[in-house]
Amino acid sequence: MLHMQNIGKLYQTEMVQTQALREFNLTVEEGEFIAVTGPSGSGKTTFLNIAGLLEPYSSGQYTLDGIDIGKLNDNQRSDLRNQKIGFIFQGFNLIPDLDLFENIEVPLRYRGIKAKERKKRVEQCLEQVGLAGRARHLPQQLSGGQQQRVAIARALAGEPRFLLADEPTGNLDSLMARQVMTLLEELNQSGTTIVMVTHDQELARRTPRNIQIVDGQVADFTLYQGGHAARETVNKTVGA
Amino acid sequence: MSEIKPILSALKRSKTGAILLVLQIAITLALVSNAMSIVFDRLDKMTQQTGYDEQSIISYLVVTYDKRIDKAKQFDEDIQKLKELPGVIEALAVSSVPLTRSGGSWMLSTDPDDLKGKSVDSGYLYGNHTLVGALGLKVTEGRDFTENDVVYDRKKEYPTVAIVSRAVANALFGEGKGLNETIYSGNNAAKVIGIIDTIKSQWPKSNIADNLVLLPLQDSTAYQKFVVKTTEHQRAEVMNKIEPLLLELSRGRVVMDVKALDKSKADTYASDRLMIKMLISIVVFLGIITALGIFGLTHFNISKRTKQIGTRRALGARKSTIFKHFLLENMVVTSLGMLIGVIGALLLGRKLMGVYDVPPLENMSILLTAISMIVMSLIAVLVPAQRAANISPSVATRSI
Repeated sequence: MLHMQNIGKLYQTEMVQTQALREFNLTVEEGEFIAVTGPSGSGKTTFLNIAGLLEPYSSGQYTLDGIDIGKLNDNQRSDLRNQKIGFIFQGFNLIPDLDLFENIEVPLRYRGIKAKERKKRVEQCLEQVGLAGRARHLPQQLSGGQQQRVAIARALAGEPRFLLADEPTGNLDSLMARQVMTLLEELNQSGTTIVMVTHDQELARRTPRNIQIVDGQVADFTLYQGGHAARETVNKTVGA
Repeated sequence: MSEIKPILSALKRSKTGAILLVLQIAITLALVSNAMSIVFDRLDKMTQQTGYDEQSIISYLVVTYDKRIDKAKQFDEDIQKLKELPGVIEALAVSSVPLTRSGGSWMLSTDPDDLKGKSVDSGYLYGNHTLVGALGLKVTEGRDFTENDVVYDRKKEYPTVAIVSRAVANALFGEGKGLNETIYSGNNAAKVIGIIDTIKSQWPKSNIADNLVLLPLQDSTAYQKFVVKTTEHQRAEVMNKIEPLLLELSRGRVVMDVKALDKSKADTYASDRLMIKMLISIVVFLGIITALGIFGLTHFNISKRTKQIGTRRALGARKSTIFKHFLLENMVVTSLGMLIGVIGALLLGRKLMGVYDVPPLENMSILLTAISMIVMSLIAVLVPAQRAANISPSVATRSI
């Protein structure tokens, strides 16, 4: 469903040029759960931004669900993010002035969904992440783990085909991290495709497929089967 | 408009900045609309028709100190010579000059005993039969003075006819009446032979601004005022010639205060113009402060919420959605400020009326102020809102 071919990303300032991604190739199939790891500065976030249509790429081709992203304008990209992609951020990125219900509602409002339907979906998602009954709480009244669950609920509310998680457990202690990870695994089992960027090797080992980014390229490709460390390095070029 | 509810609840939860801005808008609206109301009132008074041909009239004063001069004879000669100057249409001696805040006033009555009849305060102005024409006035009802009406020595007799302003006639005899009625000032009686609709007294800012009586009486005093009517484009030329000409005809006197009537009027309104300028400065100042306030608060809100805006973009908000979000938020704050401001303006207006001599607050003034403040606040929010709309969705994934 996600297909990147020879993607390059060049950041240019007056002084320096930085090649954040180069000849980046990746294919993600429907229903996969992938962990993307790599040292800091390797291009993980750039990959995530491009995959999530948060920033444009400089060269190559990217198709998401059969749609050529390069041909979309800003509004179309916004709409596509809204409809197909759910985001989970390291810092949760909840809107502090809105209560949980209103936070989860945000993407649904952007999609123009009617109030009644919004209410139904928000309540359903809150239930799913185990926070039913706390709809009128403000984010700062919750613990970190709870906040991240709200963020997951927000990502799920739009029923996305594709979930992008940026260090989803980076700000959580290990117990909460495990809870969030379990939640993600459940979601994946129910059919959502997930790409998770993390620097936590332990977490990465729990996903069926790992990708390592080094110097803006996919460095190796590792498969874990059934959570066991049956490591298999595959060619750099994947799914081309 | 489905965005309005979350905007309201967000404002409710972080209200300090918004409340300050609401107050600022309210105070500005209350002050500005009252100030503008006063400005409009003054402007209205300043631009009212006076009935005089202001652009072609000159007035001057002759102080005759040489007692040997036969003033009546000398003034006749003065006027004859003045009329020979190119551009001069009419010249005559008058008791005072309109619109200059100096002259005589009296109490008029419908009965010799003013306790019995109706009475009114009024200015009076006298000169010979050319008075009405020389001032550019038009008799609306009745007739102008004739040469036979004119009295030359008031010690012996008193004018028996008068032309009054419509305001005087209405006050004494009722709406639309007064022609051919008799007016009394003590034992002096005069018949109203003419009524003038558009005319102002010597005190155009006072409560007797519209009250004036014209009398056919020619005087020749040691302190004598004159008016000269010229063609409009030759007035300046004539003004320069008056003093040399008169002194050439006879020494032993001083010619002073040679002044155009529109200039005299402007002097009368100088304090009002100053007041208008001051009020407008305050209005502009307040306007700028409020605009800066709106601009600043929006800017601050955007800087504070950069990440939030990026997140909203990531969750599917279009640029235009973000732009509208800030516009809408600003509109909520502005409308609330307006609402409080209108109430404040009305209360302040009433208070001011009680304490100072100001006219009642015009609804038009509130409306115009409110409209201009809405426009101003929209302009102030456009740039920051555009900046917000241009925030990249990728800031959502930035860790700082």
